[in-house]
Amino acid sequence: MTARAFVEWKDVTKAFGGKPVLKGMSLAVNKGEVMFIIGTSGVGKSVTIKHLIGLLRIDGGEIWFDGQRVDTLPERKLAPLRKRIGMVFQSSTLFDSMTLAENVALPLRKHQKLSWSASLDEARKRLEQVYMGEYSERYPAELSDGMRKRAAIARTLALGPEVVLFDEPTTGLDPVSARRVDRLIRELAEKLGVTAIVVSHDPPSIFGVADRVAFLYKGVVHVVATPAELKASEDPVVQQFIGGKSSGPMETPGF
Amino acid sequence: MKFLRTRIERLGSGVLETGRAAVELWMVYVGTVAGLFRRGKNRPRGELARQMHAIGNKSLVFIIVTLGFIGMVMTYEACMQLSRITGDYSQVGSQFLRLIISDFGPTLAGLMLATRVGAGIAAEIGSMKVTEQIDALRMSGVLPIDYLIVPRFIASLVMTLMLSVIGATVMYTAGGLTAQYSFGVNPNLYFDISQIRPRHVILMVIKALSYGAAIPVVAGFCGLRARGSSEGVGWATTAAVIGGSFAVIILDFLISAAALFLTGGDL
Repeated sequence: MTARAFVEWKDVTKAFGGKPVLKGMSLAVNKGEVMFIIGTSGVGKSVTIKHLIGLLRIDGGEIWFDGQRVDTLPERKLAPLRKRIGMVFQSSTLFDSMTLAENVALPLRKHQKLSWSASLDEARKRLEQVYMGEYSERYPAELSDGMRKRAAIARTLALGPEVVLFDEPTTGLDPVSARRVDRLIRELAEKLGVTAIVVSHDPPSIFGVADRVAFLYKGVVHVVATPAELKASEDPVVQQFIGGKSSGPMETPGF
Repeated sequence: MKFLRTRIERLGSGVLETGRAAVELWMVYVGTVAGLFRRGKNRPRGELARQMHAIGNKSLVFIIVTLGFIGMVMTYEACMQLSRITGDYSQVGSQFLRLIISDFGPTLAGLMLATRVGAGIAAEIGSMKVTEQIDALRMSGVLPIDYLIVPRFIASLVMTLMLSVIGATVMYTAGGLTAQYSFGVNPNLYFDISQIRPRHVILMVIKALSYGAAIPVVAGFCGLRARGSSEGVGWATTAAVIGGSFAVIILDFLISAAALFLTGGDL
């Protein structure tokens, strides 16, 4: 499986200010798979996915995407990679000074070299797809968190990425909006064959959407399993985490 | 022994971090200058006009008020001292004008802009950094320096020069009125530009452009280094004000020293 993995982290290490976060983390994700990365806050989940697209640089190890090593690419050579791998950030990250249409048009203009008016037309279509068409000329500050998140997803999907990284996509959303985002992730994988790598703390998302789940603990992938296998796991650390128990064998720095 | 080792380690890491920051600052400056020659398509529409308004128009009252009052105080003090020694005010206006053009006008305007403009730029870019908007820009195929710092850099170059000229004019005029009404100095004697030479004006332009270049680069660099949350933005803002003011003072010293050297002390 490892040899044919679409995305792969190999023995990755990363430290911030001398404090190690990732300590030889390895994970392989197959094409078209929905992989959830779970773990306690500060364990390095977001850091892990940001390494894939060069937003952060690893200290050691290797990262591979579609047979190409990507951790060594300089910033100027990352544009083609960022066209193939999109990311939905934890906060919506829409630009306040632009309307929703302008926000979605920006990557179209830069990556696909469309003219300003063509990119705006295309952006409005993309916003229609996430039911945000009527808000295309509104500014992010005028909208709710859920609406901003949907627009941010439209912006990421505008380029037709092969892999989408979701950083806590349901955090801060009401349960209905959260399940809609879950459904969208599932549809992306099933209808378009998009590989989704999702960082999440949300149990309904984890057990409702994931093909496989990687549990990050103490800087390494502690276990990779299907949601059913994870539920049935007898590992006390896994059981404490998925059960949300405050006491148990799990070490949680800061608590 | 352990205490000594810890102290040395801290000192070493401090030196390393300072060196790293200096390299990053240099890279931001080089990236900004390179960005000037890249296509304007990389910049948001209308951003240059917006930044000129934010940096220039919105600082106008601040510059006029502060430099006006400084001009009044300086002239008053100069006349007061002269009244105690010789009582001859004939050189007050011409010498003050020379000082304003070659130093006080651009430097005081630069210091004021380092606080108002520098803090604004660092807070805006710092907020974008901690809310991952900078990462989103990079994912959209946009170079953050081209998009955020280059328009501010161009706007700051133009507006710092213009505000320096306006500030210097206000400072000189306010000083003239103070001299006339407080010490009875003849306006014809005060408003004497015969001592001004082209080299003074050139010095003013060089200083204003240097400060105009330094302020957005230092502030943008601080904003891009913001970490964490609101605390990181606060740090970036403070660092931008301190760094920008420091840059103005250091540049003033270096440019003045170079000018004195080149003119053989006859400035």
